[in-house]
Amino acid sequence: MARRSFEVRRIPGFGAIAILTIVLLYVPILILVTFSFNAGRSQAEWEGFSLQWYRAAFANEQVQDVSIRSLWLAIAAAGIATVLATLAALGTTRVGRFRGQTLIYALVNQPLMVPEVVTGIALLIFVASIKVATGYMGMGYLVAAHTAFCIPFAYLPIRARLETLDLNLERAAADLYASPVQAFRHITLPLLVPGIAAGFMLGFVISLDTVVITEFVKSAGQDTLPTYMLGQLRRAVTPEMNAIASLFLALSLVVVTAFFLVSRRRGA
Amino acid sequence: MRRRGGTLWNWLLSAPALLVLVLAASGPLVIVLVYSFLSPGNMGGVAWEPSTDAWFRLFFKRDIFDPEVVTWNEAHLVVFWRSVSLSLQTTAICAILGFPTAWFIATRAPHRRALWLFLITIPFWTNLLVRTFAIQELIRNTGTINSLLLRLGVIGEPIQMMYTDFAVLVGMAYVFLPLMVLPLYAAMDKLDMRLVEAGYDLYGGRLQVLRHVIFPLVKPGFVAGSILVFIPAIGAYVTPRVLGGGRTMMLGNLIELQFGQGRNWPLGSAMAMLLLIVVVAALVLYLRWANAEPEQRNG
Amino acid sequence: MKDGSDGTATDAIEIVGLDKVYGQGAGAFRALTGIDLTIRSGEFFTLLGPSGCGKTTLLRVIAGFENPTEGSVRISGEEVAHLGPNKRQVNTVFQNYALFPHMTVAQNIGFGLRMLGRSRTEVAATTAEMLRLVRMEELAQRRPAELSGGQQQRVALARALAPHPRVLLLDEPLSALDLKLRKEMQGELKRLQAETGITFVFVTHDQEEALTMSDRIAVMSAGRILQRGTPHEIYHAPTERFVADFIGDTNFLTVPVVSVEAGAAQVELPGGRTAPARLPEGARPAPGAKVTVVIRPEQARLVPPGEGEMQGEVTSSVFFGTDTHVHARLTDGQDFVLRRQNAGELADPSPGDRIGLALGDGVLRVLKD
Ligand SMILES: Nc1ncnc2c1ncn2[C@@H]1O[C@H](COP(=O)(O)OP(=O)(O)OP(=O)(O)O)[C@@H](O)[C@H]1O
Ligand SMILES: [Mg+2]
Repeated sequence: MARRSFEVRRIPGFGAIAILTIVLLYVPILILVTFSFNAGRSQAEWEGFSLQWYRAAFANEQVQDVSIRSLWLAIAAAGIATVLATLAALGTTRVGRFRGQTLIYALVNQPLMVPEVVTGIALLIFVASIKVATGYMGMGYLVAAHTAFCIPFAYLPIRARLETLDLNLERAAADLYASPVQAFRHITLPLLVPGIAAGFMLGFVISLDTVVITEFVKSAGQDTLPTYMLGQLRRAVTPEMNAIASLFLALSLVVVTAFFLVSRRRGA
Repeated sequence: MRRRGGTLWNWLLSAPALLVLVLAASGPLVIVLVYSFLSPGNMGGVAWEPSTDAWFRLFFKRDIFDPEVVTWNEAHLVVFWRSVSLSLQTTAICAILGFPTAWFIATRAPHRRALWLFLITIPFWTNLLVRTFAIQELIRNTGTINSLLLRLGVIGEPIQMMYTDFAVLVGMAYVFLPLMVLPLYAAMDKLDMRLVEAGYDLYGGRLQVLRHVIFPLVKPGFVAGSILVFIPAIGAYVTPRVLGGGRTMMLGNLIELQFGQGRNWPLGSAMAMLLLIVVVAALVLYLRWANAEPEQRNG
Repeated sequence: MKDGSDGTATDAIEIVGLDKVYGQGAGAFRALTGIDLTIRSGEFFTLLGPSGCGKTTLLRVIAGFENPTEGSVRISGEEVAHLGPNKRQVNTVFQNYALFPHMTVAQNIGFGLRMLGRSRTEVAATTAEMLRLVRMEELAQRRPAELSGGQQQRVALARALAPHPRVLLLDEPLSALDLKLRKEMQGELKRLQAETGITFVFVTHDQEEALTMSDRIAVMSAGRILQRGTPHEIYHAPTERFVADFIGDTNFLTVPVVSVEAGAAQVELPGGRTAPARLPEGARPAPGAKVTVVIRPEQARLVPPGEGEMQGEVTSSVFFGTDTHVHARLTDGQDFVLRRQNAGELADPSPGDRIGLALGDGVLRVLKD
């Protein structure tokens, strides 16, 4: 008798829906990448393999310009946010409750909860008045806005890491004659590194991803890759856009994979 | 040694982050609130005359010829309704697809789970714009789906999918789906499978165990996922802008309009505050529910 | 039948030729091999064995959570291979209780009956009866998280008993309790079994628990059942070295066979005296062959040197209060432990003392191989 084993974890139909869902998640992306290699302009007909759209993208000075701006903005914002978030995490973890703690949590997590459009127009209004008052039109606004937006994302893994650290390690260091600074330098900080690295990478991806805030805050000539793409989408799109999007995708993929590897090691 | 309760030290360490957050995130929100109670300036901006007109005009309008006649501002109401409706539908679609997906992943062999999860996480970290663009390429009139159907002769002319509510719905469900799967997975991962076994052992059928054992136990993850999808959906800007265009605006696009062509900053500010109120209300409801859960339903 | 059952329809569980292999290919693991087992109706049956020997696996196969790779399982005479756990009249008390955390005690207990579609009044009545049975009336509206370990245990029992199953499976139900509570619950379990008349299949790796509670015991090791029988048979007539070793303290002596009669052999003890030793079923060692015999430490008596069946020299003695363990080296160099009851004020022997060892009648048993 061919009998089917009774699997407690199986719910009929769920497997099929799950596979379908995961396929649906990937089909649009895969089509996008596929047609970035298409020799023709079509999004449906394969006319042969070609790297022409990548060549066009690389040759496009505007694309070069916005990509470089995006990258250094993401590095700067994620870097500053990570330093600030580390300090804040040290200030808010592993201590008894203190007055104002809830306020700090609320402030740190606020960018996660407020819709980006709202933050965006708030910054638009604020930045507009500073521009009028000071005349400064530089990248400082974007760096500050992105930093604020990255802080909660950097804060989460650092704090999670700190909370799992055994307080006895520092006590042991103190017992072995380490000063508080030495204990921090030789014990806490090295153990915190995976959290900090994860925090930086999250912040980096978030900054790269941010469209709305940048769109509202940027001055003329401060386009980033996402806002450039957003502008281009209104026009007739060529597969050059597919090539740019695919490269963008590849970059995210590298960072996410690195993030996964780091957070895996954290578990070990 | 850590200084227990050394409040000043805690604040000092947190201060730089808080400064940036207050200056570049929380502080400006206060300005928005203030602006919503001012009068519009001529060329954008505001005039410093207090007014509740912006809030009034969120929902109502006055007749051009007779200011005494007040009617509903249907143009706004349509957008509000679309925002709420599309966000709820998006949440529902994400739940229907996300629940089985999370369950599927949570029931794989432990060493395989990380890989499946990784498959969900990749789209999650892929740029929102890239993913929206991918959907656009699929559904536009000369996009993959229409070209394919035309070639196969299924249709005579392209189906207009872009710039419809349907397009926005598909796009939002697509981009926000991982936000539903991840918290649901986290809840299911913690679920003690022996409870499921106990359900079957005590004569529960598949559906009964799903309903009486699994669902109540993963509900926190389900609620968290719904909140995580609903909040960015109701505040969506990029997806409706790209896929919906000018005809199917959502609240986010209407807000932007007031700072661009509309040039009514107080109205835009009031709309932003309205959006914020909806989001905060959803969060408060969620938190209240999440905290109240263990006590209620006794007896 | 191997375990002396007559295999009538009143048997609660019949397992024949059961194999269970987890996984496939290179990663496959054989958790159960050739299990034949009959459990009678109304019996308190215990599966005893060390960690990892397959007790839980066997229980899960009976409950329906795992499918047998080979062999058949019958419950009350009905083949159940094709039935899911929700279709078997068998309930489980899980190792860590698996109480539904989102339901009250009463809702937990009534769950099975609700799933069976019983009427509200019946559910309420049975729940109340079960609460009384496990003495938990007061706590009906509590959540599992608000109960002590012992109380959770009672709820788990009540929940599994409420649908009145043919068989109750208990997987180390007492292992999470402290010693005092465990003793108490052992009595409680026996009482519940007597009151309900339900067949209990009980899993433990605690030999004392198994001996005190069971009608019959099956001793398992590495996926096989080595021996089954009443607690007395298992303790006094172990047929395998593993069983003798796992249950109680035992002396193993390697001795040559002198002659063989029906069911018994004359063996030559260290020092040269011969004594009769019972043979396991079917064994007929040749005269001159070496066999292993077992003697429990309390089955030998301390006698003056020169008297008794064996002679030895004390290597150490350990005082335990009620008794003293005397470790001795026999004349041929084998070690022997003897347990002496401390009735009256006796001086413990000192290392170096010469002693005699007297064996009770018919206490020697030859092990298989
Ligand atoms: N799902 C599984 N997949 C593979 N191997 C398993 C599985 N479940 C159990 N095993 C293996 O089968 C063997 C028997 O396991 P089982 O849980 O039945 O032991 P047990 O006798 O109940 O032990 P314990 O007293 O520790 O509970 C063990 O070696 C175990 O590693
Ligand atoms: Mg076990």
